[in-house]
Amino acid sequence: METMWIAVAVLAGMGIILGATIGIAAKIFKVETDPRIELVTELLPGVNCGGCGKAGCADFAKALVAGEEQPGKCPVCSQEAVSSIARALGIEAGETEKKVAVVLCSGDNNKSKVKVLYNGVSDCVSASLIAGGPKGCAYGCLGMASCARACPFQAIEIINGLAVVHPHLCVGCGKCVETCPRDLVKLTPISAKVHVYCNSPEKAPIKKKVCTEPCIGCRKCLKAGEEGQFIMRGFLAEVNYDNAPDTDITEKAACPTGCLKIAKNHLAIEQAEVA
Amino acid sequence: MQEYLEITIGAVLVYNFVLARFLGICPFLGVSKKLDTALGMSGAVVFVMTMASLITSIIYNYFLKAPIEIGGKTYNIGFLQIILFIVVIASLVQLVEILLQKLSPPLYKALGIYLPLITTNCAVMGVATLNATQNYSILKATIFGFFSGLGFSLALVMFSSLRERLELADVPKPFQGMAIALITAGILAMAFIGFSGMC
Amino acid sequence: MSAKSAYKVVTFSGGVHPDYDGKDLTRECAITEAPLLDQYQVIVHQNIGAPPKVIVNTGDEVKKGQVIAEANGFVSVPLHAPTSGEIGKPIEVPGPMGTNVPVVVIDADGKDEWGELMPPIDWKNSDGDTIKDRIRAAGIVGMGGAAFPTHVKLSPPADKKIDYMILNGAECEPYLTADHRLMLEQPEKVLAGAAILAKSIGVENIYIGIELNKQNAIDTLLAKADEYNVKIIGLKVLYPQGAEKQLIYAATGRKVPAGGLPMEAGCVVQNVATAAAVFDAVVEGKPLIERITTITGTPVVKPGNWKLRMGYTVAQALELAGGVKENPGKLILGGPMMGFAQKSLQVPIAKNSSGILLLARNEVVQYESMPCIRCGKCVGACPMNLLPGTLSSQIESESFDLAEQYNVMDCIECGSCAYICPSNRPLVQHFRRAKAEINMKRRAQQKK
Repeated sequence: METMWIAVAVLAGMGIILGATIGIAAKIFKVETDPRIELVTELLPGVNCGGCGKAGCADFAKALVAGEEQPGKCPVCSQEAVSSIARALGIEAGETEKKVAVVLCSGDNNKSKVKVLYNGVSDCVSASLIAGGPKGCAYGCLGMASCARACPFQAIEIINGLAVVHPHLCVGCGKCVETCPRDLVKLTPISAKVHVYCNSPEKAPIKKKVCTEPCIGCRKCLKAGEEGQFIMRGFLAEVNYDNAPDTDITEKAACPTGCLKIAKNHLAIEQAEVA
Repeated sequence: MQEYLEITIGAVLVYNFVLARFLGICPFLGVSKKLDTALGMSGAVVFVMTMASLITSIIYNYFLKAPIEIGGKTYNIGFLQIILFIVVIASLVQLVEILLQKLSPPLYKALGIYLPLITTNCAVMGVATLNATQNYSILKATIFGFFSGLGFSLALVMFSSLRERLELADVPKPFQGMAIALITAGILAMAFIGFSGMC
Repeated sequence: MSAKSAYKVVTFSGGVHPDYDGKDLTRECAITEAPLLDQYQVIVHQNIGAPPKVIVNTGDEVKKGQVIAEANGFVSVPLHAPTSGEIGKPIEVPGPMGTNVPVVVIDADGKDEWGELMPPIDWKNSDGDTIKDRIRAAGIVGMGGAAFPTHVKLSPPADKKIDYMILNGAECEPYLTADHRLMLEQPEKVLAGAAILAKSIGVENIYIGIELNKQNAIDTLLAKADEYNVKIIGLKVLYPQGAEKQLIYAATGRKVPAGGLPMEAGCVVQNVATAAAVFDAVVEGKPLIERITTITGTPVVKPGNWKLRMGYTVAQALELAGGVKENPGKLILGGPMMGFAQKSLQVPIAKNSSGILLLARNEVVQYESMPCIRCGKCVGACPMNLLPGTLSSQIESESFDLAEQYNVMDCIECGSCAYICPSNRPLVQHFRRAKAEINMKRRAQQKK
């Protein structure tokens, strides 16, 4: 019985001594850290995608607390998460609309022509270094899935030789935009439902030789839409995403090639959803 | 002198903590993906194991080894060994972390995140209990602790270099990730069996 | 003194030798002047560096040798009309690199009249800058393949001392014999050109490296070499013997530091064809408007070496050679190892087009790339002593930082590793990608 008391006494004594030592040491050698960093890190999604431009979520949290960044810069956070982070920091949440990536090309294997036989590394960046890639159109999607491999969320699929973004999976981190050697992936506001699925500013006859569904620059959409809803880049009409048109523009404009489409009517996506 | 030589070689190669005693497998698998983090972890382990060996062997040699006398009666508190070691090592690591953070921020940055990970790691506990069972003196225990840590580092650095190469290899799907890492670790351990019998 | 002992035989480490080098097709074919065309399509941008600025307009009359585009910046050279005639509407045609390029169209008037030639220079008694200015004014670029402006190579920074002027007559690419015939038929031009090049940078030691499979060229040059104080070096028959860094090592034993230029080893390397062009420019005052091109390959009816003006298209050049016997499998501009496969016959000849090579259908195999079996053949073949196998797996897993540590930037893209690889891995393509990615990263860092 006495042994038990000794044991209790020893452990209790040890606990008190060690606890006191650590306690005192913690007081004396205190290093100030902001408790908000931890709080914000927890509120962030924690996927470390790097979409904000920082090394990871923890790094972004540090920058947020230091006031160097706005919570809205995180492309993955939902609106609620952004506002709760802003509350935690005691600042205004910068208004941001969620963005999704869109591959602005219609040229799948059926619609576009290939200019040469390519027998090399199956990677868009590698292919584009050799004579600009095998595709007939110098601006179109090469379909070798560099963007799909870069996507941390598996939101991009190659369907019939054309990269297609699944909007419900896309968080808008922009990795694909960086990767694409042809710069035809664009981040667009999720509310914009209509896109011109073409990226070539060439003249219509050149485009028509290599693709059956290019933007031929007829300006029908410009006339049908309101002022400033479309911009011309060379011979290519582009949606002005600051002032995106409604979905009924497709009927009004009656695009002769069908290049102007509502996102869900983009053939490849439709096929994917059916499959 | 020969005794010390035996302790050092035994700790590093023959009875390597990871590859022969199979202690400390958790950090061995967890922090071996990159050479950089493996080096940081190695530093932390060497440090903690040496400190833990020193402190626990003092406690062992003065309080636990022989029955202690209080008020004319003798009490044997050897059975408290494990729990005492845990408490002491945990507090020690905690204390060191606090001190490092204040006194040497660069060292804290290098080792800091690994220190709490290994407070009551089985390799650290293992070195303390081994010291006790082997009845090492304080000096021998500290040397043993230091070189055991080095042995752990050796295994960790070798393994992380292997895993960096594995990253580039085309591994069949069922073996990807931890599976191929465990197979590699097994082969590495088999190689270390070659040292057995040296001392 | 016998011819054998008059030169030393050297080589570098690594390299490959193809079983069939295809040189027998055209080795005996003397250089023939190509007939005049009705129309020439001259590619505007024929050099590495800034494209020259076109200074002629549609409807202008030009004389042969007249400047039609002037240099734009230091790393740029002017372009000259290949014949006399009228300038047509500017158009774009498929270029040698696969993209469309702008050309100046000249509708020939058939007179082929020279304009005012540049005055000859007494190069033995003139200073280096005069010669360099003339070389630049004549639009001379590296004719071995890179098309790097020659005057830039001849202008090392003041703190670099150049000890050797090395001419590359290795012609290590299979099939090509243009340089071989040049050395055989116009040895004096080559030797004098070498002496002029050396004079322009004040170098005493002049070497010409020639592979041993061109014995008659070696003998021809040896007979006259002493007049010009030129030393001939025999090179083992091995690809890529003619690559700058390999040639420097073979000739002088010096190594160019990783990532460095030949001038850092105190050497300047020029092609023999460039030297001949320099002779024309300095002694005769003629600008660079034509070059010797080997038109060869088994499907070609009459393979040979032709002197082609800039602006000949591949189709017209093939007609000279009697057309094709069979439907070919591949068209390559340059040699088979480093040349570029073409998609169109309408590609015009440029200053660096050393060969037009057609391969038969059965000679072109669509290889399927297999996993690396770690045989290490690529390591033995790499003339830069890199580890192509390791690098390719690093690049496949997109670890470009690691590849950079393993010196992928030193790859000269000679293709020896891909040639020797039993798994047919597209090694060079991987390296080109890594180099592009790393360059992109470096540029981004510089901007910061």
